[in-house]
Amino acid sequence: MLNYTIRRLFFVLFVVWGVSLATFFISQVVPGDPALAALGDKATDEMIANFRVKNGLDQPVYVQYFTYIGRLLQGDLGTSLRTGRPILDDLRDFFPGTLELSATALLIAALLGIPAGILAALNQNKAPDVIVRLLALLGGATPIYWLAILLLEFLHNKLRLLPGPGRLDAYLIAPPRVTGFVGLDALFAGDWQVLGDSLMHIILPAFVLGAFSSALLARMTRAAMLETLSQDFIRTARSKGVAETRVVIKHALRNAFLPVLTVLGGVLGGLLSGAVLTETIFSWPGIGRYTTDAAISLDFPAVMGVTLLAGMAYSLINLFTDLLYALFDPRITYA
Amino acid sequence: MRKQIGAVVILGIGLLAVGVAQNSRSSTLVYGGDFSDLISLDPGISYEFSGGLITDNLYETLVKFEGEDLSTLKPSIATRWTTKDAGDAWKITFTLRNQKFSSGNPVTADDVVYTFDRAIALKGNGSFLFDEVANIKIGSTKAINKSTVEVTLPKTASPAAFLNLLTFNIGGIVDSVVVKAKAVNNDYGSAWLKRNSAGSGPYVLNRWDQNQQVVLDANPNSRLLPKLSRIILREMKEANTQKIALESNEIDIAENLTPDMVKQKAADSKFNVYKADSLRLQYLGMNTGAGSPFEDAKVRQAVRWALDQDSMVNVLAGGNARKVQTIIPAGLFGFNAATPYSVNPEKAKALLASAGKPNGFEFEMLVPQGSCAAGVPCSDLAAKIQSDLAKIGLKANIKQIVQSELLGIYRAQKAQMVLVGWSPDFPDPDGNATPMSDYGAKSLAWRNAWNNPTASKLAQQAALETNATKRAALYKQLTELQLEEGPFAILYQPKVPVTLSAGVKSYLRNAQGQVRFEKISK
Repeated sequence: MLNYTIRRLFFVLFVVWGVSLATFFISQVVPGDPALAALGDKATDEMIANFRVKNGLDQPVYVQYFTYIGRLLQGDLGTSLRTGRPILDDLRDFFPGTLELSATALLIAALLGIPAGILAALNQNKAPDVIVRLLALLGGATPIYWLAILLLEFLHNKLRLLPGPGRLDAYLIAPPRVTGFVGLDALFAGDWQVLGDSLMHIILPAFVLGAFSSALLARMTRAAMLETLSQDFIRTARSKGVAETRVVIKHALRNAFLPVLTVLGGVLGGLLSGAVLTETIFSWPGIGRYTTDAAISLDFPAVMGVTLLAGMAYSLINLFTDLLYALFDPRITYA
Repeated sequence: MRKQIGAVVILGIGLLAVGVAQNSRSSTLVYGGDFSDLISLDPGISYEFSGGLITDNLYETLVKFEGEDLSTLKPSIATRWTTKDAGDAWKITFTLRNQKFSSGNPVTADDVVYTFDRAIALKGNGSFLFDEVANIKIGSTKAINKSTVEVTLPKTASPAAFLNLLTFNIGGIVDSVVVKAKAVNNDYGSAWLKRNSAGSGPYVLNRWDQNQQVVLDANPNSRLLPKLSRIILREMKEANTQKIALESNEIDIAENLTPDMVKQKAADSKFNVYKADSLRLQYLGMNTGAGSPFEDAKVRQAVRWALDQDSMVNVLAGGNARKVQTIIPAGLFGFNAATPYSVNPEKAKALLASAGKPNGFEFEMLVPQGSCAAGVPCSDLAAKIQSDLAKIGLKANIKQIVQSELLGIYRAQKAQMVLVGWSPDFPDPDGNATPMSDYGAKSLAWRNAWNNPTASKLAQQAALETNATKRAALYKQLTELQLEEGPFAILYQPKVPVTLSAGVKSYLRNAQGQVRFEKISK
């Protein structure tokens, strides 16, 4: 197991290197001049030349790449052309927002999707199944953008049940930054008002972001459960007189969980990247918006920093999912 | 049961939050807009729109404009100023008001010297206003005594333009005692000033949460007596988000609603729409270089006789623009309101024929991606121009590319026709006249390969002319020459519609984008 993990971690490094190479060379062929994008139309030729020298843009491509990799190995992601800050600082500021949102969305997706899938499987072709399948179809087909506007208009603007865009009410001041997660920071600061407000604020965007995933999870759980429930060992368990809840949870769900787990891992990766729209509509300060702003202004170092981070996160989530397999299914061992 | 208790607790905390927040609402203004361009709140560094909007309220300048008027300078930190011709240079003397910074330190001549020298030394995006436009260097600004400052301007610079550019945020006077104490590694305190303020403006910076909000609190030492105790600039990129937040009273001002939304809000008694002027011009640039189809001035006139500007203003821009044809925008000294060109395809074709191109020609028109002035999608505007020009036999092949790529081609004189915008860097006609007329300035005239010695000379003379009547006459001559022979077809000057909750009073935004927060009440 340990050997396997180490080997896989080595592969993660390999993937990250591949990502760095790909994004770097894509950034070279994208049209547009980063110096002009950063300095604007009014910049003099001298200012543009200085900017190129300062940011190493005047060097040949391969030199730029090796300089980049050299700095990367020392943990330096470079400086953003747009904000003028070290990219690591920017990521530290914006990543918690996205992680907070994605994790809550995943929680919502799992809490809605998995039980719904089980319920549907247990009542195959009956009313609950039809309803779950219909909702899953809707959830999978509804565009995030539309759902977000609709819910904001209805739940926030008309019914005043939930707060609107933003991470906190404008009139509240965020607690001192410790972790970057507003809820946690409020907890540390003992600021219950901010904690409550941040919880209320995250419900809508997290639901919107998680809606698609919950539909996916419901369908996956349903299919996997149906398959498991029709197998011999379930019939044996039932005929032995094992209680139905125990049959469902202990026998069926545990076996049906592997494919669901695979999807779950993929879903978290998808949530991290799919947060762009949700963050824009809900004015959520996260990595998605940071990346769009960076891409629009041709801020390649920032785009590469985010891509590397995303590649790393994705690989690690996959590794983690694979390791969890062994936990859920003793038949699987890694050597 | 346990779950229900949990839900009740969460709801309770939420309601408590809302309750406490309500208290401060009446004395706080929440301003919703796209402030994602914000990179620093240091007045010596910031040159973006959002940075200007905020730092204008954190710092005071020596002189300023009041209301919507951008032609008469009013006293600010300086109560009086005089310009003297000292033979080989201009000497501009300012007398300072007895005034305090937010720190309690007095505003002195030393602070002005430090501010100007600092702005030059920092080499920020706006530093060229001081060293290239005003031609001043470190050492050009001297403290005569505690409340008198003298700036020496070489004769190559325009004293009028210098005074006008002082109204920009780069002229915002910083508290040198505080800033010097915060300086590290020779950075003139810019790392600290990026997220803190040290000025005498009506507000002080409370905090800036990047991509979320900027919070300003009233400066107790300010003589301007701000009406509201707190201003929050809440970053919202999406028009729909701003609309919903405005309707639910989460924000009091929305800056970026779509023209449709603005129309809808204008008809609703709960909101007011304020249409601010801007100094931006949306224009077509035509390359006049040898061998270019637009080399002959008659061809350029034909283009101007073909364009249907009224439709651009009324249909595409939804009325949020003004039809102009001259190079100095309305609102600035020297504006020429003449609009001699109207849609006349016959006249245009005759001009083409006399230029030896009776059958028209084909050319490439470069168009940026995204929105052009007044929120009109550039692709829509380009399509309109394409169809207008087709009526006189000119076939425009639209090539839509990212702005920075377009600028790269344009700046290398390699574009045939470009659809772009321009705003002057400071509210003086020279901000447009020189770049658009003087080939030697290596700006817009140069990019279109338009080398007209008369136009260059007029622009240079007008820039340096201190007599207003003479200056106005020079600009009249220059704008008329441009109308006939220039390389541009000016399309329109956009307005910026800002939507306000009905309770917001005394909101005003001048064409430079400056909003005086201290005057606003609600």
